[in-house]
Amino acid sequence: MKVSFHIPGALREFTENKSTVHVEVKEGVSLLEALQALFAECPGLRDRVLTETGETRRHVNIFVANENVRYTGGLATPVVPGMEVSIVPAISGG
Amino acid sequence: MIGRTLDHYRILAQIGEGGMGVVYRARDEVLNRDVALKLLAHGALERVGPDHLLREAQTASSLSHPNICTIHQVGQNGNDFYVVMELIAGRSLSDLIVSTGLSMETVTRYGTQIADALAHAHDRGIVHRDLKGSNVMVTPEGRVKVLDFGLATRMERDEISDVTLSYSSLESKLVGTLPYMAPEVLRGQKADHLSDLWALGVLLYEAAAGQLPFRGKTGFEVTSAILREPLPALPATVPYGLAAVIQHCLMKQPVERYQRASEVRAALETVQGATLQTRHPSEETRGPRMLVLRGIEHLAVKNKDILLLVGTNKGAFLVRSSRDRTKWDVAGPYFHGQGVYAMAYDGRNGRHRMWVSANNMMWGTFLRSSDDFGKSWTNPLEASIRFPAESGTALRNVWQLSLGRPDEPDKLYCGAEPAALFESRDEGDTWCLVRGLYDHPHRPRWMPSNGGLTLHTVLPDPTNKQRMYIGVSAGGVYRTDDGGISWQPSNKGIRVTFAPERYPEFGQCVHKIVMHESRPERLFLQNHGGMYRSENHGESWQEIGHDLPSDFGFAMLMHPHDADCVYSVPVESEEFRCTPEGRLRVYRTRNAGGSWEPLGRGLPDKGAYETVLRDALTTDALDPAGIYFGTRSGKLYGSRDEGKTWKRILEGLPQILCVKAAVVQMDGWSTAKTISRSKPVKKKTRSARGAKRGRSR
Repeated sequence: MKVSFHIPGALREFTENKSTVHVEVKEGVSLLEALQALFAECPGLRDRVLTETGETRRHVNIFVANENVRYTGGLATPVVPGMEVSIVPAISGG
Repeated sequence: MIGRTLDHYRILAQIGEGGMGVVYRARDEVLNRDVALKLLAHGALERVGPDHLLREAQTASSLSHPNICTIHQVGQNGNDFYVVMELIAGRSLSDLIVSTGLSMETVTRYGTQIADALAHAHDRGIVHRDLKGSNVMVTPEGRVKVLDFGLATRMERDEISDVTLSYSSLESKLVGTLPYMAPEVLRGQKADHLSDLWALGVLLYEAAAGQLPFRGKTGFEVTSAILREPLPALPATVPYGLAAVIQHCLMKQPVERYQRASEVRAALETVQGATLQTRHPSEETRGPRMLVLRGIEHLAVKNKDILLLVGTNKGAFLVRSSRDRTKWDVAGPYFHGQGVYAMAYDGRNGRHRMWVSANNMMWGTFLRSSDDFGKSWTNPLEASIRFPAESGTALRNVWQLSLGRPDEPDKLYCGAEPAALFESRDEGDTWCLVRGLYDHPHRPRWMPSNGGLTLHTVLPDPTNKQRMYIGVSAGGVYRTDDGGISWQPSNKGIRVTFAPERYPEFGQCVHKIVMHESRPERLFLQNHGGMYRSENHGESWQEIGHDLPSDFGFAMLMHPHDADCVYSVPVESEEFRCTPEGRLRVYRTRNAGGSWEPLGRGLPDKGAYETVLRDALTTDALDPAGIYFGTRSGKLYGSRDEGKTWKRILEGLPQILCVKAAVVQMDGWSTAKTISRSKPVKKKTRSARGAKRGRSR
């Protein structure tokens, strides 16, 4: 099945400037597995979205459909066919 | 068989069974010890003939290596052909490998030992031919013992096709062997040392991932996968360094693999203990390696120019001047919006490389470097500074980038938050966590200070390659005398104000430590309250700086040519971390802290409530030395006469976090960083020659 990732501008240098990247994954996979497929496609994204412990970076939010995955099971959130995933920098400053 | 005696071996119990035959525990009645006795299956004998097998076993028995199961004897008793071996208590690696894979530390530790065993055997012309998890024993102490060297019989071509056609119904022997077989062996070539390295790659993959790389329901599928399918990606938890070793073992073409087991061992040793290495930049990795920055007017840097690297909380700026140090050009901001806590200029070995740690609040901290004064920067796909996956720790920031000793021109050090030291031995391509410090029993008791729990100072002793000091806020000073394996707290005499115990063994909030390379036994230290000197390699400290307006400050700078001269910019107090009375003053001692003089000509006398952070005071090491500092309010000051008079170079920058200075040597000679006049440089390296040049004016 196909999953579409929306890539923020700051990371598009790692997606050949594409704002959306589609990956093929098996039915019933988790968000983490879908992300891994994305990282295999665009290796520069991995360390910018996740820390080395495999957690989503503190100031990065991932939305599956329009839901922040922090409230839907994090990286274990299931993805369904045709789903859109958005990687979005959080509101922060300093 | 139990109870039977073969020559002087009494069979006690069956302990295993494999394709080669049955293994028994037996009693050596002559030497009075228990041994393992493998009674070879008749089928194996028939295939190659007893003479051949006997010869091979005899050759294998010549191997003596701590990671190879010793063969005591090979013998024949009537139709029974047997091998007597060292009896090993432990479990086979195949039993130990769990579905989630072993820890990376375990994989590299076992892998190193197996590679060492292969290297020993290959050097003696002995090929294993059947390396697999069930042939590797691990003792309770964690020592690996490889079994059955040279005992595997060769599979002939027709046998291979038998295996591939009827895999699922075959006896365990071939089923267990097939997934480890190299593509060229499946094509009928003779097994050799390179097919052993393939098998080692399969074993490492299996140990790291918890499953075999090439799988299938039938022998045909397995064979087909080995021959044709690309190597499936390892789990993300496998560090890149280890993944690279495994991939290199599993190149389908033997010529593309490692060519010697000793190379695999060396590669694993590099990964071992450490962690994580970045995948070496190569054409295979997709995405940008270099980022060319457009829209910035870059500096035109000429030979012998002075270069200032200025890191701010919103990017990096580069500032240059010709040798007269009167007129300065500026370029930037580079890494727009990112916190640049550490910068370094590496002019060793003919380089003119700038390093930046760029901390992006969203996307993490990456080391970037430029060899063309900022026109283009590396843009690594993977973070090169990272904690081992199993540590559960994630990098927050990089606070320090330090060069190794002048005669170790490929070494670099990185101080991280949370407090940890990383080392690179290949000019910054790959980095390893210094495990000795990370595993120190004090580390869990270090307390974060205001800026976080940071390792911000790295001071290698220039005369002793085994010795180095680090400073942690708030952990204190630690020293190693054995190249980073063990670390001792060196805080005797340093006071703390934030705990009931005034002089604890560790936990001090040290802000900066400096040393002059001509007197490595002497250290100066700015503490969170208190300025100190040690004359004995940090064994003990005494307080200095009583005539300073305040004992609180961050920045500290060693004069490049005078081992008695130190600079400091005190702030009023812990509560009011600004220059006292709104007067910006640099203080200098020329008698190792006995007395201090204010240096204020050209600096604002009032309304200047400034702070100079710990890495924002530096020197170009020329003679007379140029001294530079940046303030939290974004002003950059410089003096070209060692501090007598000052000029404002820039203002209006974001908060300045670090300032580094260098003299550019475009003809491949060293930077000012290594210049010393107090001490003759022992080894005539490029740096040493550079030092000479730097001084002649």
